[in-house]
Amino acid sequence: MCTTVLVHIGNQVNVDTFFSINTGSTEPIYRQLVEQVRRRIAGGQLSAGQELPSVRELAQELAVHPMTISKAYSLLEAEGLLERRRGLAMRVAAEHSRAQSAASRVELLRPSLERAAAEARQLELPARQAVTLFKQILDEGNTE
Amino acid sequence: MNAMLKELPAAFPSPFPSPSAVLTGLHLDYGRQAVLNSLDWQLLPGQVVGLLGRNGAGKTTLLETLLGLREPQAGTVSLFGQPVAQIDDATRARIGYVPQQSDLFDSFTATQLLAYFKSFYPRWNEAKVEGLMSRWDIARDRPIAKLSGGEQQRLSIIRALAHEPDLLVLDEPVASLDPAGRRDFLRELVDQVLDRGTTVVFSTHILSDLERVAFNVAFMRQGQIALQAPLDELLDEVRAVSGPSSAVQALLRGAGLTALSRNPLDDGFERCLVRSATPLSTAGGLQVQPVNLEDLFMALTQ
Repeated sequence: MCTTVLVHIGNQVNVDTFFSINTGSTEPIYRQLVEQVRRRIAGGQLSAGQELPSVRELAQELAVHPMTISKAYSLLEAEGLLERRRGLAMRVAAEHSRAQSAASRVELLRPSLERAAAEARQLELPARQAVTLFKQILDEGNTE
Repeated sequence: MNAMLKELPAAFPSPFPSPSAVLTGLHLDYGRQAVLNSLDWQLLPGQVVGLLGRNGAGKTTLLETLLGLREPQAGTVSLFGQPVAQIDDATRARIGYVPQQSDLFDSFTATQLLAYFKSFYPRWNEAKVEGLMSRWDIARDRPIAKLSGGEQQRLSIIRALAHEPDLLVLDEPVASLDPAGRRDFLRELVDQVLDRGTTVVFSTHILSDLERVAFNVAFMRQGQIALQAPLDELLDEVRAVSGPSSAVQALLRGAGLTALSRNPLDDGFERCLVRSATPLSTAGGLQVQPVNLEDLFMALTQ
């Protein structure tokens, strides 16, 4: 089951962003959140200084245990993507002021594509057919 | 050490929080079949523990024994440091319980029921009760017997939350709620944890709910808690290893691991679940795959 929640980030930036929780996944919820923030920072949708919802807000919004949110935020802080300020909301660290290059962003897709490639090989699909499908799915997303 | 702890002011959180519930060596059988079999279990403050087990594994028996509603043939239960059989009123007021079968008084209305229970508790959060009654749209002035199963279940949850318990025990609390009602209920649980550090234990078959709010999961098998751990850690560390049986066993021996479960497959192959903090080698034609909560459930409750 996949659910997506709109979260209002900070007063100043007024940005709506998505956090989605995929239950039944082999990826723990804290890692799903870490990856989503990482991708949005890499893609420039979240940039330096923007605030993230508090642990309390996000836990309530997503109906997830607060320790799961804290764990995700702590990892993002340890990676230098977010910075914690005493008594204030977590925000995107100063050095992430603009999107990463497409070359480094595409690397973030690698793990998912490696999984898909392994499955395609198990299905004995020709590479061309798998690539066509991926292109088709990307195009569908663009027209929505 | 004890002397040092004694000197801390009462409000200072202890670095070693005393458990909300301690169950030791519980044994209970119905005739020939042991339902609880030397079961040991502890619940720490602020933990939200999801209790998982197959039908008939004894989850309800365990929760009722924890609450002192059922007497074990051997073993002890203490809640907040008191033996459950001799618990005083003040401690009893710190416990909330939502049973699997609604035990509300059928001829009362919701308003009468809540007024009745309110009289027993020193603390009663009227604002929370009013808020939930409105939000969950429960008829206040109809006999409880006339309410739907979902309404009765919601009322039972409100009754259990109203006195702001420090230990909340829920036995299949969401079975008759729709997805929206379940999500709302999970938010309430999150609030309890955020606001009060409530210890929560709940059983459910709806794994997606459990995954969200239960930071810890406990698997019940053969009358014992086979494993309790943070779900995050289990998903990070447990892997399904499959391949020729000899190669699987060689890998486990080499890494000094014991299998959480073993399933024989055809042609001398097998599939094992193992927990390892370091990545496992895939040498020798072995497949190593991550698992989800359902895989863990299947393997650890068998």
